Amino acid sequence: MTRPAASHSSCSGCDLCLLACPVWRQTRDIRLTPHGRAKALQHGATAAELGTSIASCTLCGSCEPACPEEIPLVDLILDLRRKHPLAPAPESRPAQATATVSGTLILPDVALRADAARLARIAASLGAGLAADDGADISLALEAGARVPPARLTQFLAGLAAATRLVAADGLLLRQLHAWLPGKHIDSLGIALSALPSVRSKLRARDLYVIEPRAFHADHARLAGHYDALRVDIGLETNLDLQRLAIPTTASSAQNRLGLRALDAAEQANWILEGRNFERVVVEDAHDCAVFAAVTDRPVVHLGDL
Amino acid sequence: MRIPDIEPGVIPPDPVASDALIGIPRQQTNPARWQGAGWPAFAAQLTAEGIEVIDASHLRGTFSTDAGGTAYGMPHGVVIARSSLQVSTILKAAQAHRVPVTVRGGGLTTEGESVAFGGLLLDMTGMSRVIAIDTAKLQVRAQAGIFWASLAESLRRLGLDYLSAPLNLTSSVGGTLGVGGIDVNSPRLGCSADQAIALQVVTPTGEITECSDSENAELFQRVILGYGQFGVITEATLSIRPYTPLKMRYYYYSSLRTAIEDLQRLERGDASDYSGILTMMDKAITLLVAFDSDQREAEFDARWHAGLRGSGEAGFALRMAAHYALRPWNLKEALFLLRRKRQLFPEFRRPEHMRDGKMHDRTVVFSRAVWKFWGGRQMVIPDLATSADKFVEAVERGNAVCKRYFPYYTLYCVGIRLREDHRPHYELSCIPPDAQGWAYGCEFEPLLGDDIWSRDTLQSFKNAIYDIGLDLGGSYYRFGGMMKGYIRRAFGDALVERHLALKRKADPAMILNRDVIF
Repeated sequence: MTRPAASHSSCSGCDLCLLACPVWRQTRDIRLTPHGRAKALQHGATAAELGTSIASCTLCGSCEPACPEEIPLVDLILDLRRKHPLAPAPESRPAQATATVSGTLILPDVALRADAARLARIAASLGAGLAADDGADISLALEAGARVPPARLTQFLAGLAAATRLVAADGLLLRQLHAWLPGKHIDSLGIALSALPSVRSKLRARDLYVIEPRAFHADHARLAGHYDALRVDIGLETNLDLQRLAIPTTASSAQNRLGLRALDAAEQANWILEGRNFERVVVEDAHDCAVFAAVTDRPVVHLGDL
Repeated sequence: MRIPDIEPGVIPPDPVASDALIGIPRQQTNPARWQGAGWPAFAAQLTAEGIEVIDASHLRGTFSTDAGGTAYGMPHGVVIARSSLQVSTILKAAQAHRVPVTVRGGGLTTEGESVAFGGLLLDMTGMSRVIAIDTAKLQVRAQAGIFWASLAESLRRLGLDYLSAPLNLTSSVGGTLGVGGIDVNSPRLGCSADQAIALQVVTPTGEITECSDSENAELFQRVILGYGQFGVITEATLSIRPYTPLKMRYYYYSSLRTAIEDLQRLERGDASDYSGILTMMDKAITLLVAFDSDQREAEFDARWHAGLRGSGEAGFALRMAAHYALRPWNLKEALFLLRRKRQLFPEFRRPEHMRDGKMHDRTVVFSRAVWKFWGGRQMVIPDLATSADKFVEAVERGNAVCKRYFPYYTLYCVGIRLREDHRPHYELSCIPPDAQGWAYGCEFEPLLGDDIWSRDTLQSFKNAIYDIGLDLGGSYYRFGGMMKGYIRRAFGDALVERHLALKRKADPAMILNRDVIF
């Protein structure tokens, strides 16, 4: 007999998801955790009854590799968000012609696109073109639980068809791209940059390297090895916890982008820094630059600025 | 607020699971559900005091069972603990309204001890922060609902670690101190409960009290290993130590007796820093030893290694291959062993937790493996705890019981160094009264997987294991909850009556963690 795919019904209540959950860390309220949601669903809760809990998740994805039942917890929360959206559907990006780019194509997110000079440096480092359509509206809609018009998605994916490699700054979008474009070579921005010898040579042993959690957790089994090798090669520290899950600042969450009630990103950043011995913070996610700059007097640099 | 005078609670004639019929000993106790008299007034009082009482059924359902997954009960309401003062308010009101209060940490009990069969469930994970770390004294003060993993996370930033804790990330400190807490370094460092230096306890009548071996010692003695009967632990001061990764070594045996004899010899000789036995089958037994330093490992190699009767991995694999080559009808068993080895071994050598051949964060490694390969919706883990000289017989007899009930199961054996000065802590606990120097525990865990076993089979299996303990004069780690029918027979009337009298005095309405022991 084949074991059925894991769902919320598979949750045995082990609590391992709590250990990595930033919402639990700040609230100590089990109702706002994957465990709490799964158990409530097992006991007949509707999405509407779980509204506060559904809205609280930052989609960092750290619960998913922690789950021994291998429940697809990110898909579960996205599904619940569709039933109980965070906010009305954000404006869809108007259709526009996208240049066909072969080779490597970068999909910057909102924060990366805001700094044109940095983006140009990254593109040059990677020898990559920039996607005119980076799907930021699609990512935000998915995270907020809004409907993405199929025509919009088709248009977005068509613009990526010719690229041989995609480099996505948005970790949630990257996870979806793997599902939408099976077989396509897709990397996170952090992986793409940290694999470059020119970037690695500028990392230092006294750096605190902050991994972007969404992309990391989406491919945890593979990427844990990449970052462990980076740690060994350079001798730096990372924002991984004892389970080797990335502690998020949550600065890039939809709640922040939509101006909704969000977790305290500064508190998360302080927790990442607590007790660490470092001279510089290096971040993969451009959203994190300002968060760390606000809580430490030591330099904070984006990986693309090295 | 004036607390009304409290009358002694209505207690059954024999609150520790009296025999159902004269001459027929009770072997299982399913608590009756508390019917809810006084709940509305109690809940209203808490709400008026600014305490959120969660009463939606889908939210209460989150707490309807424990890790065992065989005991089910629904609380009338749930409160997430937030402060000692809040817990005090709750217990005072519970005494006044005679509402049972069940306290839950990680919920990792297996016999329903942290399941509320009506009344209020107090979720202690709401109080789970580190309060202070004293690097000079090597002590930490934390709220008691904290998971050991969260505590380790804070300590590691300072290069520190706890002494010993259950090999499970989501055990809570408070829950562990109430029952024991066994680690693979317990043969050297004792159980987790012995690491507690001082506690803040909210008594069943709501007094917030600090206790230790030197302050309110009698309360300290009863709360440590006290199965939650004499108070709610809200804060704990624990001994800590510098963090060290560990070097693991595995020896393989095909005889339980030989493996246990070697284990006990190593522990008597203080040969290693960590030791224990884990089986895949009763003919594939792993004795693990581990070291905090290269020096300790070198001393082990010089003095103990050659005398051990177990094999290395390659040698043992060859022996097993020869064994099954001569017994081709046991192919299914051989395939199980091979599959289990392929699944388990890499999990204990995950590259991100290994550096220079040493394992980092052992609790994470072990706990992941526990949940992945032994966890599930139901966990049935009867155990036996005996003195050193009775242990081989206990394990061999328990193994025979396992074999009768289940095709595949795991045994986990570990020693527990005892502290003579803590003898009073050990009364009516998992530490057998005749144990000197070390107590030994063995967990018998069938691999239930996704198979469906009847409740009768599981209970009958547990009873068969527990009957061995009665026969040998041992104790158990999990004698509360559904297994409390064994308490009087294991500990004797005199001790139980004495503790019952203490309980009645401390908890007049008998509201705190009802049906766990009393």
